[in-house]
Amino acid sequence: MVTIEERLRVEEFLFKEARLADESRYSEWEALAEDDMHYWVPAEAGQDPDDGRISILNDNRTRLATRIRQLNTGVRHAQVPPSRMCRIISNVEIETIADGEYFVRSNVVLYEYRIQADKKMEVWPARVEHKLRMRDGEMKMFSKHIHLLNSEGPVRGLSFII
Amino acid sequence: MLDNSRPSEGIRFEELILDDRVHSTLYTDSEVFEAEMDSIFRNGWVFICHDSEIPKAGDFVRRNVGRDPVFAVRGRDGEISVIVNRCAHRGNIICQEERGNAKAFVCQYHGWAYDTKGGLVDVPYPAGFKGDFSCHGLERLAKVDSYQGFVFASFNPTVPSLGDHLGRATELIDRAVEMSPVGRINLSGGWVRHQLNCNWKMLPENDTDGYHVNFVHPSFAQAIRSNYDEAVLQDEESLKSEAKDWGNGHTELNFSPSYSRPLEWFGCAEDRYPSYSKALREAYGQEKGDKILLDGPPHAVIFPNLFLGEMNIVRFEPVAPGVCLHIHTPMYLEGVDDDVNQRILRQSEGALGPTAFLLADDSVIAERTQLALAGKGGWLDLSRGAEREVTDDNGVVVGHLTDETSNRGFWRHYKQVMQGPDQSSPTAAAAAA
Repeated sequence: MVTIEERLRVEEFLFKEARLADESRYSEWEALAEDDMHYWVPAEAGQDPDDGRISILNDNRTRLATRIRQLNTGVRHAQVPPSRMCRIISNVEIETIADGEYFVRSNVVLYEYRIQADKKMEVWPARVEHKLRMRDGEMKMFSKHIHLLNSEGPVRGLSFII
Repeated sequence: MLDNSRPSEGIRFEELILDDRVHSTLYTDSEVFEAEMDSIFRNGWVFICHDSEIPKAGDFVRRNVGRDPVFAVRGRDGEISVIVNRCAHRGNIICQEERGNAKAFVCQYHGWAYDTKGGLVDVPYPAGFKGDFSCHGLERLAKVDSYQGFVFASFNPTVPSLGDHLGRATELIDRAVEMSPVGRINLSGGWVRHQLNCNWKMLPENDTDGYHVNFVHPSFAQAIRSNYDEAVLQDEESLKSEAKDWGNGHTELNFSPSYSRPLEWFGCAEDRYPSYSKALREAYGQEKGDKILLDGPPHAVIFPNLFLGEMNIVRFEPVAPGVCLHIHTPMYLEGVDDDVNQRILRQSEGALGPTAFLLADDSVIAERTQLALAGKGGWLDLSRGAEREVTDDNGVVVGHLTDETSNRGFWRHYKQVMQGPDQSSPTAAAAAA
């Protein structure tokens, strides 16, 4: 059981992380990630990250940095101009992993307006799992796993920060 | 042909496909699409799966052949059947799971049961069934054949042999499997299904287009240092890679001439995986081992739906004139250390699929092209480099990396297939007669 104050800190983090992703503020979003960050979108329900099955996305911190560098070039066509997005976060459940570390489950629905191509609205519902850590008085993430409901596909282009 | 009512009869492909241009209606017209489903995806050979996906008796995977749902299953005799996924009774999906193992396939609607060859073996309340079990089996694709474990099938009982279809391109498949010291690949890594809202033909075209790389992928070059720097990101004179037309619609971008050291194509130095290099040289001899390590895997399309994408295997799947799927899996190698396959997996996730450093950008460009072709449309140019391509001793047409040699090869074969045996080459007409 976490305290009300801990819950507020965790939810504050989720909302901030979502806003930075929604607004494609790539470097500010990246600054929320710890050195041991694992950013993962599995391709199948029940998948293990190390079972040799392919993922839609499976970034360690180094590859995540490359991803952010690519988005920051300004010539990543799939995000020029960036998708317009808003995500709704709900059903937040928090467990303590260790002192100052939290495992957080939430349900997210992301609406994406694909302004750079066919100008269609895409909806991305997902169950999301964060692992968060308080460091020097600031909340950071060291894991974000996004379980898309439609991960088995077909999946449309997903070049923004999910 | 399967029947006499070819949907392509009203379409004058000879007016839509010229040597140096193609008309945009080929990407947008629903009659053209229907004709393709028939002439290419039912009458010709289509890649289904690799035999490593279904190694044991009863193993199955679901697939689509064009739009027809099928499943490939290994029988108790070891042979692979490709079976239409539709109950012979009332048409329900028979094989519900995407992959798995089954002794029999039982329809969940009325309980009709079929064996792994598609034969009907049981009908509930048999007193009311007056049919003949042998006449009520599942529909099987008429032809199934494989090369190096790549399983192809066709609905057409009179299709020319798989060997005729692959022609010289068997060499491309050989090169892919010879990346393994034991000559075997393993597609057990699962597939990612990426939907693009563009015509399916843009997939084989773009995957063997060497001209777009500097323009579609500058963000990749700026964010990553990779083997692509040497292979494609140079001025016209210094680019040594080639665009190739292998015949029968099989096309390639050959990056090998641009590599100057072993494993450059893998984005690392040779000493990164010493046991892999050693195993290749021991298996194939010093000379051929050196060549494999230097040249790397093929980057080639086998007409119509298989892409040997270096260390990835890709299936193209048409859905509608403006919708298709690009479906990929890592090409794991047998007989190598796990860390080699681990690198293959991570590179596959990086290069292909919805989030990839490369394909996410290709897909947006393709979707914008599809938007541009709406309405009456117009001509798309295919002339680049026609005057400077040469035919080598093996009959393969070779052009500059940035030339449209590969796409001209795709369309030449497409035109022949779509026009049907009446107007195609004498050999094909004779074989289909």
